[in-house]
This record gives sequence, structure tokens and C-alpha cells, in this order.
Amino acid sequence: MLNRPLSLAQIPLIVIGLVLCLFPIFWLVMTAIKPPIDWNASPAIWIPSEPTLINFRTLFNPDAIRAYGVGGVSQAATRAVMGSILASISATFLAVGLGLISAIGLSRYSRTNWATPLIILSGRMFPPAAIAVPFVIIFSLTNLMDTYPGLIAVYTAVTLPFSTWMLKSFVDDLPREMEEAAMLDGKSRLMAHLTVTVPLIRGGIFSTTMLVFILNWSEYMFAQVLSNTELATIPVQLAKYVTATAGTLYGVQAALAVLAMAPLIVGGYFIQGHLARGLTFGAIKK
Amino acid sequence: MTDLTGLDVQNLTKTYGPKKALGGISFVAPHGGFTVLLGPGGAGKTTTLRLLAGLEPQTEGQIFLDGQEISRLAPRDRNMAMIFDNLALYPNKNGFQNLASPLVLKKTPMEEIRKRVFSLAEKLNLTLVLDRLPKTMSGGEKQRLALGRALIREPRLFLLDEPLSSVDAPLRFKLRSELKRLQKEEGHTFLMATPDFTEALAVGDTIIMLHEGRITQVASPQKLYDQPVDTRVAIFVGSPQINLFQAEFREGQLAFLGLSCPCPARLAPLLADQGRGFTVGLRPENAALVFDDTEVKPGDILGEGVLVDIESLGRTMALTLKCGQDLITTLASASVLSQITIGQARRFRIKDPNLLLAFKPDGRNFLV
Repeated sequence: MLNRPLSLAQIPLIVIGLVLCLFPIFWLVMTAIKPPIDWNASPAIWIPSEPTLINFRTLFNPDAIRAYGVGGVSQAATRAVMGSILASISATFLAVGLGLISAIGLSRYSRTNWATPLIILSGRMFPPAAIAVPFVIIFSLTNLMDTYPGLIAVYTAVTLPFSTWMLKSFVDDLPREMEEAAMLDGKSRLMAHLTVTVPLIRGGIFSTTMLVFILNWSEYMFAQVLSNTELATIPVQLAKYVTATAGTLYGVQAALAVLAMAPLIVGGYFIQGHLARGLTFGAIKK
Repeated sequence: MTDLTGLDVQNLTKTYGPKKALGGISFVAPHGGFTVLLGPGGAGKTTTLRLLAGLEPQTEGQIFLDGQEISRLAPRDRNMAMIFDNLALYPNKNGFQNLASPLVLKKTPMEEIRKRVFSLAEKLNLTLVLDRLPKTMSGGEKQRLALGRALIREPRLFLLDEPLSSVDAPLRFKLRSELKRLQKEEGHTFLMATPDFTEALAVGDTIIMLHEGRITQVASPQKLYDQPVDTRVAIFVGSPQINLFQAEFREGQLAFLGLSCPCPARLAPLLADQGRGFTVGLRPENAALVFDDTEVKPGDILGEGVLVDIESLGRTMALTLKCGQDLITTLASASVLSQITIGQARRFRIKDPNLLLAFKPDGRNFLV
């Protein structure tokens, strides 16, 4: 953290930056509490005079909005929220768990210092849409289309390189002598890693988990392509509020978006110290 | 049935891909002895210790400890303790937990752990830091804690990988004498790696000189200094560096630096065969400037050169003179500083011609 007072020239720049970042969030939250009549009002209403929770109620009870003369929501968002929780948590758990094993392996037991990481990261070097097509074909053949195991597998596959690479940077920073001392003291290789390496990179594991979770939680394209009737996630549900009969249900959409942000903000608050390190991800050595 | 023969290493080899880190070295580190692996960076010192500890598998070779072959055992079954150059203290454990960890892993009863930790802490002067985390300790305390974590297990062999490199110079001096005293008092078997020849000479009973993955010399500290096996060892051991000159042998005399000097008796027959093209080594302390003609005795070997550099070493100075094409470094007391200036022509004498060394064209010492 910088520990010096801000100069006068810096303050306006910081204010501009904050406005740019926070204004969309402000608008989102305001829209979520606007009654339908205010959604599209012109001139725009910044802060609703009669804030309401009707949009949130509509999420879980699609008929609630009819009282305002608006129709067209077909489905409660409950399934999508549960689906997002299931897919994101499972895939994050798998990606971080497998990533941790790979990271320790690459950092401690591999002499190749460029080829393996390069190959691992190559999966992220082209647009995700390019891998979506083969997934659709493979999943159609294996009956994994429109299933949670299918979506979790895709999310794990897509985020595993990311978590491996990031966790490796944390293991690299930890002197290997730490776990070797434990091995000489009487631990097996596996126990030395579990009881010395893992606790000492705890912060790195937290921030990796958070970032992978964010990637999974906000993923839209794969969920949209792979889902039909069974599978639902929050981003897919968000897109469903564009209706033919009632136009876009801005307020309901914003309400779901606000709900979706909540866990990230809470989680982010608790690990913010580690997060800064996670975002720079191995860019600095020592 | 353990015989106390100490460590016996045979043909230890390690290759990384095409690169040979260790080219088949064999040596012993006797029980109760302080053996030092000395060599420049990249000589294979750390690799040797890591192979001995079992942290990496050797490509070839056998390791015996007290008569038992341990070449393929897991690190925890080798009964060795290692002190790493970065000490590798557990940063999340306090002094007590760091000391106790090897005992906890052996499932020693808590009562005995407490007794042993406290008695060792007292001996190493660590009592006050037992409840503190390593990051709050001084360099010396961390160093002693790392030593304590090794000592508490009472292993058969201690491997020390540049254990003093992380502490400041004044403390290093104090710690190395403590280390040696401890080793002698308790009769431990130590094998220490260091790139610092003063450290090696100060603590070692035997010094194993490593260069590029091979042993070049095994000798006592005094022997290593007086009769280095080749010019590489001669240059590595000694500060300021040894002077090396191209020399010729003429009628019983050594000719170098434009002066003529009686040949040490042991060397004469060997050099007579060689004739020319060999190298003479002159330690800086074996040459001195002449300030007063009364110092000069008949028969002294005198030379002359232009003073080109003065380097203070505290109480002494290293003076470099240019003699024709060659440079010669000598030692002088700091008290003569007022009498010399750079650019002066100065006479010097060789104190004892019998201490001259001679090396073959390939660098090997004629006498070793």
C-alpha cells in the first residue's frame, strides 16, 4: 500500500476513475428498485421517488409483475440461481484442486521451464467460441448436452489452465527448502506438500479460488450454447428478460444482476488483501 | 550393527539432461569430523548435499552412512539433518514449534519434547525467542534456531549448505567458531558446503575442493594453502590472490619477473627436466616492499617495480607493482601508507624462496 498523501493533481483523476467504474453499478442498483413505469422514463430518473422491491419479487414469482400491467416473464429465476451455484462451486473446486496438484508438480518436479506452461496456456489463446463447437459435438455424442456434469466439465477445462498457472506462481515463490526440511524431519513427500506447501500458500489459494469462481459465475457463452431445458445459470436467465411482448424487463434484469453481484462483493471484501496479489499473478518476483 | 565409519560416498554422479552437474565423486566424511566442501558457485556443492539427503535421486553412485547403504532411501529414512542456506524455518510456527517439529513427527511424548526443547534452547541461547515467529528474530537467532532444529533429532550426519551465508559478516565470524566448538564438544559429524575459503580453513578438519563437479583436492586446511594441487585451487584459496608468473629454470636458479632466485631444493630436480614454460606461484605475504637499505641482507632476492595500486585491507594493505609486463601484489602494514604514492618506483624483496610454488604447463603443482 502506498503510504503518502495524495497530491492535488491526483484527486480529480481518481474521482474520474471511480465515477467511470462505479456509475454502471449505481445505475444497476437504482434500476433494480425502480417501478416499471420508471424503467424507460424520459428524461431518465436517477433516483426513483418510490423505490420498490417488486423486481426482486418478480424474479421468484413471475406473476408478481402483472399487478403493474407488465406481463411476459415465463420462468422463476430460482432454478438459474441454484444452477449457477452448483456449476460454479463444483467447477471452481475441481479447477483449484486439480490446479494445485499440477502447480506443485510443475513447480517442483518439472525441469521444463517453458514448454509445459506454454502448452497449458495455449487453451486460452483463441476465442472461447472456437472451443464451444467441438464441445457441442462431443457432448451431443456423449449425452452431456444440457446437463450439469457437462457444464461443470467445460468450466473446469477452461479455468484449470488459469488456476494452474496462477497457483504455480505462488508455489514458485515459496522456497522448496521449506518442504524439504519437513521431508528430512520425517514427512513423506505427499505429507510435506499437504502440511507445509499448502498452508504456506493459503493466500494464493484463496485468491485463485475467488478469481476462478468469478470466471465461472459470470460465464455466459458456454452456458447458453450447452443449455436447452434442463440447464440454467444466472447469465443465461438474464438474457431471457428480453421478451417479445413486453420488451426488455430492465428492472427485473437489474434485480437479478444485483443478486448475482452480492456474493462476489462479499467474498472480494474478505480476500481483498490477497486479491491484489492474485490479479498481478506472478508478475512480480519477490 | 552400526560401525562408526561416518559417511562414505562412491562415484556420486548427477546429470541434468546433457549437463553433468556432478562427475562421479568419491570421498569420506569421517565420524566425528568436520569436513568441508569448498568450491566456487556451480561446482556441485549443493547438488552433492541434496543427493546425500535424498532430496534428488543420483544418476549413479552409492552412499554409505556408518556402514549401511542408504543410496535409495527416502530423505526421512536417512537419519541426516540439513541446514539450508535460506534456513527454511517454518514461517508460521514459533521458535518452540520449529524446534519441536522433528520430535512431533516421531510421535515423541509431549513431556519429553518439552524437556528436550527447553534444554536445547538454553544451550543455544534461544529461550527468549521460543514463543516468537521467525520473522521477528534476528539473523543470529534464526541461524541458531535452524541449527537447533537439526540438533534436536540427534542425526548421524549433519549437512550444512552455506549455513552462514544469510548472516552479516561480524556475526558470521562469531557463529562459525560456535559451530566448530559445538561440533567438537558433542562429537557430531558435519559436512558443510561453502564458497568462502576463509570459512573453510577456519572450521574444517578436512577440506574437499570441488571444481566443475569434480574433486580437485582433498587436504587439511594448511596443506591446501601451502601446496594447492593446481593453479585453480591456488587462486581460489588465498586473499589477496596468489601471484603467478611465467618462469624458466637456469643453472639451478628460477628466473621470473626479471630476477633470479635460488630454487627450492625439492623442486630443483623436477624443474631441471621441465626447463621452461612453467609457472611460479608467489603468495603476496611472501613479498615485501623495501623502505630502508638496512633491511636488505646479502643474498636477498630483490626486484623493482612501479606502484600502480593501493588497496586497504584494514591493518594491512595490498600493494600492486608493475614489473615490465607483469603485476605483482604484496602485503604491507598500513603504517607505511604515508611513505608511498602511486607511480613511485619501489624495490621489493622475496622473503623466503623456499615457499615458492611451481606449476606445470597444465596447471598442476609439481609437488602434489
